[in-house]
Formats: sequence, C-alpha cells, structure tokens
Amino acid sequence: MITLNVNGETHELNLDPKMPLLWVIRDRLNLTGTKFGCGHAMCGACVVHIDGQAARSCSIMVGEAAGKNITTIEGVSGKVAAAVTTAWQRLDVVQCGYCQSGQIMSAITLLTGNKNPTDDDIDAGMEGNICRCGTYVRIRRAIHEAAKALV
Amino acid sequence: MLNGQSRTQRAAFLAVSFSGAILLATIGGTQRIHAQSTTQAESLAALNKIVAVLQHPRCMNCHQVESPLQGDSRRLHIPHVVRGTDNHGVGAMRCGNCHNGIGNNETSRTPGAGGKRKDLWQLAPLSMLWQGISVGDLCRSLKDPVRNGKRSGEDLIEHMTSEPLVLWGWNPGSGREPVPIPHDEFVKLMRVWVAGGMACPQ
Repeated sequence: MITLNVNGETHELNLDPKMPLLWVIRDRLNLTGTKFGCGHAMCGACVVHIDGQAARSCSIMVGEAAGKNITTIEGVSGKVAAAVTTAWQRLDVVQCGYCQSGQIMSAITLLTGNKNPTDDDIDAGMEGNICRCGTYVRIRRAIHEAAKALV
Repeated sequence: MLNGQSRTQRAAFLAVSFSGAILLATIGGTQRIHAQSTTQAESLAALNKIVAVLQHPRCMNCHQVESPLQGDSRRLHIPHVVRGTDNHGVGAMRCGNCHNGIGNNETSRTPGAGGKRKDLWQLAPLSMLWQGISVGDLCRSLKDPVRNGKRSGEDLIEHMTSEPLVLWGWNPGSGREPVPIPHDEFVKLMRVWVAGGMACPQ
C-alpha cells in the first residue's frame, strides 16, 4: 500500500512502487491536467511539483513520491502561481495547450527560485519544456511579466 | 712474522667479508629496487584497465564541462541541461527532477541510483573534468586531493567500492551498456594501483 499526498488530499493506493507517477495521477486519481508527451522525461508535458520542486511524473516512480507533497496543475496555488497564470492568460500564451500545464509548473519553479530571471535564465530553466506550437516567445514574455508582478 | 702473517690473513679476511657485505647489500638493494619497480609497473598496468572504466560513457558522460552527455553514443543530453551553481542543474531542470533516488526507471528508461544521499544524481564537479584530457592527466587528476574531493588512495578505493553513483555504472538499466570490467575486479585493480603508489603515465 502506498500513501500519496496529491493536492492536499491523502490517498492509500495498492500499486507497484515502480509505476510511473503520471500513470497514477491520470488513471487512478483522474487528474488529467498533467499530460503524457514522450514518456521519457524529454518533453516536460508531465511536470508536477514534488515537495515544491518540478519533477517529471513520467519518470519518477510512485514509490519515490510516496509520503511527499505532490502538486498538479489542478492544485497549484500561491502568489507565484497566481502571477504566472495571470500573465499566461493576459498574454494569451496558449495555442493548442497540450504542453502548457507542464510549462506553467516549470515556470512556477523557476520564479520561486529566481525572482528576476534573465532571458538566459529562462532559457536554461525552461529548456526541457517543448512546445510544438512554438509559443516560446510568449512564454518568455509571460515569465518576465509574472516576475514584475511579484516585485 | 707470525704476527705479520696473522695480520695479513685477518686483513684478507676482512677485505673478503667487506666485499661480501657490499655484494650482499648491493643484491639486497637491487632486489628492493626491482620489487618496487615491479609494483609500479603493476600499478601502471592496473591504471590502464581502470581508465577503460573511467572513460566509459557510464562515467564520462557526467564528467563534462557544462552539460552532460547521454547514452552509449555520447550525444548531448536530451533535454538540454546545464551545470548550475551546485552541479545539480537550474530551475525546473535539476537532475533529481527526473533521475530517481531509488534506482532505474524501466518504464521511461530514465536512469537512477539508489542511496541515502538526497539529490544523488549530478554533474561531476569541474575539478573532476575528465573529458578531453590524456590518460596521464586523468590519472593525475584522480589522485590529486585538491581536485578529487580531498580523497586519499584509500578513500578512492572506498569511493569506487560503495558510492551509489559509481555502482550504477554496473547496473545502468536496459538500453545502456555497463562498464567493461566486473566490479570486484575493478576494486582489485584500484587496490593494486594505490599499493603501487598510484602510478601515472607521463
């Protein structure tokens, strides 16, 4: 039995500890805002937060996440999250939207650790989040705007 | 006369004894020098086998300047990650964000090494940069406490014996080739190299 704390709720689940966390989040807890992209930690669509740090849920095994605080796009909150989601909406960052929950989760982690990121900081910190629609320019602008809102 | 003969005989005896002592001392010295040079030669031979492990992609891929390489083909890591201030990456791109602390993930094939230390996976510190240097320079870097994490020869043996990130090289998960020498044999080679004075080629 594995105890999983997701978005403040505790779940007792009978699972193989080597199951990817993403499978559990989407198929057992029905939180489908977190997306499956590549399944190999290469695209960033599945990013969630584990104890406040971005993590690729396709590659983190559920046994490793047990007992930790997991936050998905459905449960994200706080000043940084509010600034990011507001900037995202104001600048219409999203095109198709498939990668955007992962982008937002990574952007929150970036801004939590770096209150005033440069373009280079953003490129390095967001490098692993791929957007097939090519919304990178708007993503970068939205992160700068969120940073200003947090000052 | 008798006294003179006796003195001559004693002198001859002493001369022979002295020569013998010199000879014995010389032989002993030669043996000691021979034994030492053999050990150094063994140390150097051991190093050449050790290097085959250290320069293998399982080790070398993370002993890079700014970004790790990936896979047996040694291509640039996908996604691209950078060292950061603590060798663990930056922002949302930190090593532990994907690399499990409880072992390899056979579903995503993301490697991971078990161990008690939190956030185990990382780029080797810049002082341990091994890419692009000769075997001799790698050897000197390996034994230099200023560059090797303040490790003595015995510490290096211990590091190679029990460090989870080192041991991962023998258990890299599917799709990745393990390092070429069995672990117990590798540790024996480390012992020979250290016992022989951590010999390095010029």
